[in-house]
Amino acid sequence: MAEREYERLTRSAARARFAVISAERCSLWLGKDHVLSIDTNGYRESYKRFYFRDIQAVIIRQTDYGKIAGLALGVVAGLLGLFAFLSGHAGHPVLAYIQGVVAALLAAILVLNLAGGPTCTCQLRTAVQVEELPSLGRLRRARRVLARLRPLIAQAQGELAPGEAPARSEPEQEGGSANPTTDGRVEGLAQRTDGATEGNPEEPPIITP
Amino acid sequence: MNTPSLLCTRCRTPLGEALFNQPELVPCPACAAPLQVAVFPALFRPLRAGRDGELLLIEGESSCFYHPQKKAVVPCQGCGRFLCALCDCELNDQHFCPACLETGRTKGKIKALEKERMLYDSMALSLAVYPLLIFYFTLVTAPATLYIALRYWNAPRSIVHRTKIRLLAAFILSSLQIAGWVVLFWALATRFRTHG
Repeated sequence: MAEREYERLTRSAARARFAVISAERCSLWLGKDHVLSIDTNGYRESYKRFYFRDIQAVIIRQTDYGKIAGLALGVVAGLLGLFAFLSGHAGHPVLAYIQGVVAALLAAILVLNLAGGPTCTCQLRTAVQVEELPSLGRLRRARRVLARLRPLIAQAQGELAPGEAPARSEPEQEGGSANPTTDGRVEGLAQRTDGATEGNPEEPPIITP
Repeated sequence: MNTPSLLCTRCRTPLGEALFNQPELVPCPACAAPLQVAVFPALFRPLRAGRDGELLLIEGESSCFYHPQKKAVVPCQGCGRFLCALCDCELNDQHFCPACLETGRTKGKIKALEKERMLYDSMALSLAVYPLLIFYFTLVTAPATLYIALRYWNAPRSIVHRTKIRLLAAFILSSLQIAGWVVLFWALATRFRTHG
């Protein structure tokens, strides 16, 4: 059997946070020299490649979304269970059955939510973009994926020794730094380009072929 | 500025180097959100400056196809034209001219530039399955499904591994639907002929 080009890193997850049925889903795949992010609506896939040599940082932030959702599910499931119990005692078996089934369903979702562990958001940063990775919505999974990527990125870029960061960043003062924003703009680059055209007339113009 | 600033994803506060590459979650100094910030050497690498081509100094030296006054440094791996440093577009250690890069992107010849694909197999399967809810629609959708399944049988599917099972299922389902309609029309025609 031919070797597969991509290996699955995560299952697909909805881009929208509160979407129960969402059209756009995102998943992560591991390639030979890059991470592939696939956004799909079921009939069309769009791809984003993050090459190991270009990945600057991965930021994981634990969120309370899982706790809030769990609490809400627990309260609703508990109330429905209570109503089912009361309805059963009041002589409405059909109503009790329906409420009981819905309560059990919600309880099952609650258990799945608890089993998934704490939730998080994950951002991947390169020199020109900051990409939200919705498929890394659980802390455990995000850290597992990061642990998987770390040696591959280190292989492509080399290791960053402790205390090396400030030393490495020194030459950047001359070249200017780029701070990508989530909407795709590159702050540092924009400033540098503006400076070159306005303040430094000797700078050669950019020629596009 | 020493370090390119990384911002807290919640409060947008710049994160200090003390937070970088910690094994566990550490609180953001401003909003106390638990963060793990994995930083790699590329963050501290200056952006590579663009190069403009070197002017030709010696007569008879190879020149760029697009800029005849500039020195060629590399041939395009798509068309073989000589390129100067300005026209050399490097992609995964391969060198292309802007025209080949554009052609490769639009025609999908360079896989690394491929941005999207249509999933005809999923389309065909949906077209075969969903109209079954209102069976009359299959009179139209079954031939359409069959057309899509046959027309795109060899078309590239998802970039990640995917079998032809969806196309096959769509083909079988639509064939059965068409067969069902043929049998129905044939039965109706025979009935009208015998009774009328």
